[in-house]
Amino acid sequence: MTTGSAPAPQNTRTTAEPGARPAGNRRAGGHPKRKGNSETVAGYAFLAPWLVGLFALTLGPMLFSLYLAFTDYNLFTAPEWSGLANFERMAGDTVFWGSVQITLIYVLVGTPIKLAAALGVAMLLNYKSKGSGFFRSAFYAPSLIGASVSIAIVWRAMFSAEGPVDSGLSFLGINLGGWVGVPALIMPMMILLAVWQFGAPMVIFLAGLKQVPAELYEAASVDGAKAWRKFISVTLPMLSPVIFFNLLLEMIGAFQIFASAYIIGSGSGGPAGATNFYTVYLYTRAFTNNQMGYASAMAWVLLIAVGILAFILFRTSKSWVHYGGDTK
Amino acid sequence: MFNKFSRRAGSGVAVTVAAVLMLTACGGNGGDAGGTPDPNEEVTLNFTWWGNEDRASRYEEAIALFEDENPNIDVNGTFMDFPAYWEKRQTEAAGGGLPDVMQFDYSYLRQYGENGVLLDLTEYEGNGLTTDGIDETLMATGRLEDQTLAVPTGYNAWSLFENPAVLEETGATGYEGGTSWEDYDAYMTSVTEASGGEVYGGTDYTGRIQNLELQMRQEGRELFTDEGELNFTQEELAEFWSSAQGLRDNVTIPARQLEEVAPKSGFGSNLTASEMTWSNFMGGYLGDTGAEDLTILAPPTSDPSVKDLYQKPSMLHAVSAGTEHPEAAVAFVEFLINSPEVGAIFGASLGVPASETALEGASLEGPDLGVKEYLDSVADRIGDPPAAPVVGYGALENTFLTLGTSIGLGAITPEEAAQQFFDEVAVTLGS
Repeated sequence: MTTGSAPAPQNTRTTAEPGARPAGNRRAGGHPKRKGNSETVAGYAFLAPWLVGLFALTLGPMLFSLYLAFTDYNLFTAPEWSGLANFERMAGDTVFWGSVQITLIYVLVGTPIKLAAALGVAMLLNYKSKGSGFFRSAFYAPSLIGASVSIAIVWRAMFSAEGPVDSGLSFLGINLGGWVGVPALIMPMMILLAVWQFGAPMVIFLAGLKQVPAELYEAASVDGAKAWRKFISVTLPMLSPVIFFNLLLEMIGAFQIFASAYIIGSGSGGPAGATNFYTVYLYTRAFTNNQMGYASAMAWVLLIAVGILAFILFRTSKSWVHYGGDTK
Repeated sequence: MFNKFSRRAGSGVAVTVAAVLMLTACGGNGGDAGGTPDPNEEVTLNFTWWGNEDRASRYEEAIALFEDENPNIDVNGTFMDFPAYWEKRQTEAAGGGLPDVMQFDYSYLRQYGENGVLLDLTEYEGNGLTTDGIDETLMATGRLEDQTLAVPTGYNAWSLFENPAVLEETGATGYEGGTSWEDYDAYMTSVTEASGGEVYGGTDYTGRIQNLELQMRQEGRELFTDEGELNFTQEELAEFWSSAQGLRDNVTIPARQLEEVAPKSGFGSNLTASEMTWSNFMGGYLGDTGAEDLTILAPPTSDPSVKDLYQKPSMLHAVSAGTEHPEAAVAFVEFLINSPEVGAIFGASLGVPASETALEGASLEGPDLGVKEYLDSVADRIGDPPAAPVVGYGALENTFLTLGTSIGLGAITPEEAAQQFFDEVAVTLGS
């Protein structure tokens, strides 16, 4: 229905898209404002693929999972209503709280480090130099492949005993051995993997830095400000909307860490639960243990928790995010 | 504008919910009884298995042979690794779209069988499906109540592998097999000491639930009661895990090193001289270690007169209850189980063939023959198999393994691990 050749955009203003005409005629039946209406229909016709996707693939399953969250569902027999049992069980599940703890550490420690790295590199790349275009691409590359399974496998190999990281550290006299089998070293390893993929926020920071008017720096120089002072008093305030945007995006992204943790922990959350991040545990509950009701409840708790954190971030943003034209 | 939108939203949701409900309501329904497939009907069968490339090439060969004999049947084979295999089957079972024929595992039989997603093969026995050539105790592992839900391909038993090459490096003496647990501990200690820490005598055996089962059977008990409840207490479990603390500290391969080499085992990585596992691991371990041959011995026992071991079906073949072509599916299972050609293709890689005709065709040699000889040698220790594993056993086995690793890494104490295991069991078996 929505395939077929679409006319050039400028033509859609007065004539409906051909493919949508049958629907338009039906709908337009008793309406006097024929022209405006067919435009609306055309608009919806263009929206249709997205709407179908939203309802069939996103909203429908989401609502169904909300229902499942209050049931006992093992995938084989019909879901059985169990009220709040899943949520009560979650409260007493030590493995669940362990996964919440490591996920929070990952988000709260990893995200700021990643953003700091992104901002630092963006500032370096902001200086005009010969190879800056090349370096921008080079630093962005890891974000393109970072979420892939192959990188997680490579990462695991790099940090194993006698791998490049172990060898490098041994050369410096630090003998940690392989990191993969040590629960305490998994978190630094996962955070390093996240930080390494700083390309996406870096590009956004870079765009933000280009927008900071040069006269502000000139004025600061005239007032005798040194580099650090300029950074604190000019760069950070001017960049705060971009920082806010990146912080929000990266925080939500960090909560959803799955593929790398799944691969590095061999899918079992190991060693000793160190890679048992929230989504990994959710996956285990759903597809290994067949507790789809419990997993659905976990998914909704995550959604609500991330929603609340985003809300808090929005509220605090009023005191530290300065938009252009603000008096303060 | 917005009102219009939400009215449409309402109907969209209704359609979606209806679709979801329809999907979940689609159960399988059985086909008609008995007989041989109609030779004129064009049929496509979906068949799936778990395993590696080696197994895949063998199955491809078998499928080609079957298609030659049955030109009207087209078999569409797919495979993946074990954990992913079951994740996929669970969702298919929920949606009513299981493949026609599946390689099946004993630990999932009750779960699928009790939920009616497997075809009852009883009426095909002697009528398209030959089961006379299969040992009755082994055949019983594919039965649940009065139904035959799966047919075993072959059998194996718990065993102890030893790697002669690793042992030789250390200069220590080999394990005799079938002696006391203390003897086995002393053997592992001697290997670790002789190697100076390069390799280890073995792996902490308390990490595997099969070793707990073995020790319990040696005391005349089963893991689960007839009612499907755990037959041991939380204190006993903590005691079992604690019993190997000395070994973990000084003798067996450190858990940290095992994590490093995963998914291979310590034995498969040539880091330990011995390990207890199922006898059909022979092929896989030969590949993992690259060794020319491996020794297979009887596991230790606290009472040599007790029938503590049992024949476990290494894998089974089952047919989906929702298949549209039950006759063709059964014919394919018949071919996989009984055909001498298939026996020759697989050797003992699906376990020592259960069917007499397949075993004759297999003409076992080399390591396969070693496995067969081992199974014959422990015949005195082979007793009745336990009842089909409880629903959720696969997940419990996994939890046991994970907790054992956590103990090994020093992340939790045996007491805490036992607590967590029982909490988990309460959820898995309680519902």
